[in-house]
Amino acid sequence: MNYTFQYGVVWKNLGELFDGAILTFQLGAVSFAGGALIGLFCAALIAYGPFILRLPVHVYVVAVTNTPALIQIYFLYYGLPEFGIRWSSEACLLIGLILNAGAYLTLIMRAGFLSVRRTELEAGQVLGLSIVQQVRYIVVPHIAKSIYPAMANFFIVILVMGTSIGSLIGVDELTGQAINLSSVNYRWLEYFTVVALMYVVLTFIASVGLALLGRWAFRVKARIF
Amino acid sequence: MLHLGVNDIRASYGALEVLRGISMSVKKGEISALVGPSGSGKSTVLRALVGLTPITGGNIEIAGQTIDYRSARSVRAARDTMAIVFQQYNLFQNMTVMGNVTFAPIKIKRRPVAEVEAQAKKLLDLVGLGDKHGAYPDQLSGGQQQRVAIARALALEPKILLLDEVTSALDPELVTEVLDTIRRLAGEGMTMILVSHEMAFVREVANQVVFMDRGEIIESGTPREIFDNPKTDRAQDFFSKILRH
Repeated sequence: MNYTFQYGVVWKNLGELFDGAILTFQLGAVSFAGGALIGLFCAALIAYGPFILRLPVHVYVVAVTNTPALIQIYFLYYGLPEFGIRWSSEACLLIGLILNAGAYLTLIMRAGFLSVRRTELEAGQVLGLSIVQQVRYIVVPHIAKSIYPAMANFFIVILVMGTSIGSLIGVDELTGQAINLSSVNYRWLEYFTVVALMYVVLTFIASVGLALLGRWAFRVKARIF
Repeated sequence: MLHLGVNDIRASYGALEVLRGISMSVKKGEISALVGPSGSGKSTVLRALVGLTPITGGNIEIAGQTIDYRSARSVRAARDTMAIVFQQYNLFQNMTVMGNVTFAPIKIKRRPVAEVEAQAKKLLDLVGLGDKHGAYPDQLSGGQQQRVAIARALALEPKILLLDEVTSALDPELVTEVLDTIRRLAGEGMTMILVSHEMAFVREVANQVVFMDRGEIIESGTPREIFDNPKTDRAQDFFSKILRH
């Protein structure tokens, strides 16, 4: 290989890469939080709701989980303007990711709802708990603990794979920044090796943080490595 | 003094009538045992008492007061009087032993925390788990979990304790520790209704034995009457099969 690595130019622009990394983290966190709210609501509907309400939830979940996230976001970015709706790149990415995460998290949380043991609820009932208290003290802690690992994994997925879609519609997150910078001086290899490392660090921080949170809040024995 | 009266109650699961007119009375300080083959409706009687299975006929009275199972307040009053312990313990998995025992008295009954915790400590000592306050259910053996469940039920200060096959899910060597706990409660004069397959234990502690089959009471009486001289063929057949091994 007749190639000389020149990392100097990368170090000079490290600050911009850091900005990208921070934006990546913010996008991931907001998408995940929004998706979790949608997921909790939809999963509760699937578990306890009437058929009329379950049906649209199923349609939403099937439609979103069976099409690529990239296509969904392209639809928002390139498709909606045809109908006179113009959102910024960031808004399209965020809304696309929230809807996408919402569908996947509905599936994950649904499993949590279905795994609550009826007998534990009966025990609560005879101890005098109301329906609301049963949900608050038995169902939610159970769901939180049983699906925490799957939720944490999904956060990593959306943090790495979800947000990087933004680079294709002009969002300057980590991948987007790397494309911008390297297209100026063609140091693709240098930029992307550094960016890859930054992704690793980012997911490592997220994994450790999530594992500690899970251990502290829900007694989940998560493995970090 | 009549403590609990069960008068001709009926209950169904779908089209299947599982209780077909059950009547019995339990006096204060007495221990009644429901025995009989699987599917005879023993557990359903206990579930009906605490309002987990709706009754379709008859009534249940406590100290002369008929329980109205359609009224939330009446059911609450019934559940204040009776506490049930399940075959599968049904502990709250997300709470410690102490949390399980103190949860309902603190959160539901709104009793002072310090008082409840002091009482819980005594109860856990009583069931022999004084050193397990901070453990979670999944860190305990089945016998230990069942004893926590008994302490949790006692924390509600029930007048009557309902025990639904509390040793059936346990390994044989763990049965003894749970039976010892029940024996201790019997010694303290606790009124209990227990569903059990531990015939030797029933014979030892029960004042009254009720033999059920297919949703009906076939015969009832003292342990001696029922075990040694069953009058009906059905009871004779049942006891000859299970007492012979």
